[in-house]
Amino acid sequence: MIPERKSLIIDERQAAAMIRDGMTIAIGGFINSSHPMAIVRQIIRRGVKDLTVVGPASGGLDLDLLIGAGCVKKLVTAYMGGEHYCPIAPLFRVAAERGEIDVWECDEGMFYCALRAAAQGLPFTPWKAGIGTSFPQVNPDLKVFTDPINGEPLLAVPAIKPEIALIYAAHADPYGNVQHIGTGFGDRAMWRAAGKTIVQVEKIIPNEEVRKNPLATSIYGADAIVRAPYGSHPFAAPGYYIEDEEHIREYVAAANAYAKKGDRRPFEAYLHKYIMEPETHADYLEVIGIKRLISLHEY
Amino acid sequence: MTKEYATDFTTKELIASFIAHQVRDGERVAVGAGLHVPRAGILLAHLLYCPNVRLYVVMTFTNLIKEPKMEPFYTVTDFRPAKWAEAYVFHDDFQENPRLVSDMFVVGALQIDKYGNSNLIGVGKDYKRLDFRGPGAVGTLSMAHYVDRYYLYVQSHDRRIFVEQCDFISTIGWGEGGADGRRKLGIPGNGPIYCITPLCIMDFEPTSKRMRLKSVHPGVTVDQVVENTGFELIVPESVPETEPPTIHEIRTLRERIDVEGMLRR
Repeated sequence: MIPERKSLIIDERQAAAMIRDGMTIAIGGFINSSHPMAIVRQIIRRGVKDLTVVGPASGGLDLDLLIGAGCVKKLVTAYMGGEHYCPIAPLFRVAAERGEIDVWECDEGMFYCALRAAAQGLPFTPWKAGIGTSFPQVNPDLKVFTDPINGEPLLAVPAIKPEIALIYAAHADPYGNVQHIGTGFGDRAMWRAAGKTIVQVEKIIPNEEVRKNPLATSIYGADAIVRAPYGSHPFAAPGYYIEDEEHIREYVAAANAYAKKGDRRPFEAYLHKYIMEPETHADYLEVIGIKRLISLHEY
Repeated sequence: MTKEYATDFTTKELIASFIAHQVRDGERVAVGAGLHVPRAGILLAHLLYCPNVRLYVVMTFTNLIKEPKMEPFYTVTDFRPAKWAEAYVFHDDFQENPRLVSDMFVVGALQIDKYGNSNLIGVGKDYKRLDFRGPGAVGTLSMAHYVDRYYLYVQSHDRRIFVEQCDFISTIGWGEGGADGRRKLGIPGNGPIYCITPLCIMDFEPTSKRMRLKSVHPGVTVDQVVENTGFELIVPESVPETEPPTIHEIRTLRERIDVEGMLRR
């Protein structure tokens, strides 16, 4: 008898159930694109606390939402904002100013050094950029040491190992072969570093489709796959939909009401309407509405 | 051939033209999405003067000289310009060799000191209780470290930005000054070349590497710049006006690059 190959498909609730208080998790994508939002919203619904959230190298409003919802203890990223929607992420800014979250201050080069060291099982990656700056002062994990070859000062960027990486991609087969559309930003660096990788996809494709173009397989061997159409909403999904500008502006207005005027009600209303009230990803999509969703064209 | 200068242009268009003249043909040049003016300047250089530039546009490399006009893109994650891609850039590859991404770079800042050191971390004396938390360094530190040269670019010019001392330094300029200010720290590259603001262009005096006024934009006085700068700026005896854009540059900007008119607002 030929044994069956095991399907790795789970749903967003099973995926989020793997995230427990105090864990170190990575969240993929980049600023306004490609975040595993179905899983992120479920993490908020479950009320997970004290997370150390790693990345992306430049973080977006998905992380701002997690901070506002009280899930984050420490953040590892080199940027927090929404580009032209808001240059600085509002709830991140106030949480950092009040010392409610710890920021592991780095730039994008250092960020990847930390993941690379974790991937290679090394204590640190040496990096040159940062000598003469405030980084070693504001982030005491960064150590200045003397290069044993040339005797010059170098920065040791310590390994940061996410226990679980949560990644968004266009496609995967049921066996964990993931194919991004576009570059996937720094997603593969997270996968290489993480203990486990869960990939939320727009569409499950048959294994035969994967075999037509193995070069397109960006992550070989994800540990679990979550199918969630429109799952990066309100952020963009290369090849599927552009970001929902109106929704992002609604979020920014709600977050700014708290960050700039101290009125938390609009943000609480946002949380209630879009996250706490809908029980599943499908319920969330019903709240957004089919007209809005299909207006987000792919070209 | 004498240059035919435009007479009707905005300060943003003037700055785009200035930036266009900083690009050298054959270089790799990163085009940021968020900073509209530097983006327009780099595209202007490419379309008019530098056909062999390798443009890094939203995670791709491309060449756009045959494109009749640039479709607008506002974010570094907009995937639509990928239709132009000759190569994809995996973002984490940037750490493998930042020089493969760009030969020049544009760095924004919350604060800048007289040696061109700059700060995107935040404003305040206590890092744990900042008065104003900034967006973070993005890739500016590593890019500015490895590239051949970079340009400081800010969208306002006042004493909050131009300070005697940055509260934090996220990108090193000339360190504590002197022509060997970077070499002393073991930092390669030619550092910041110019600091570009809505009022003026500043460069760095070669011996001290202190910031020096190079030119003022039309309608701006030297006093105005000095008053709005929180450190002692070197002011040469005569300060020219920033060279205006040519008619051809303005036409190219308006018809092929800034079709939406972001630089005219």
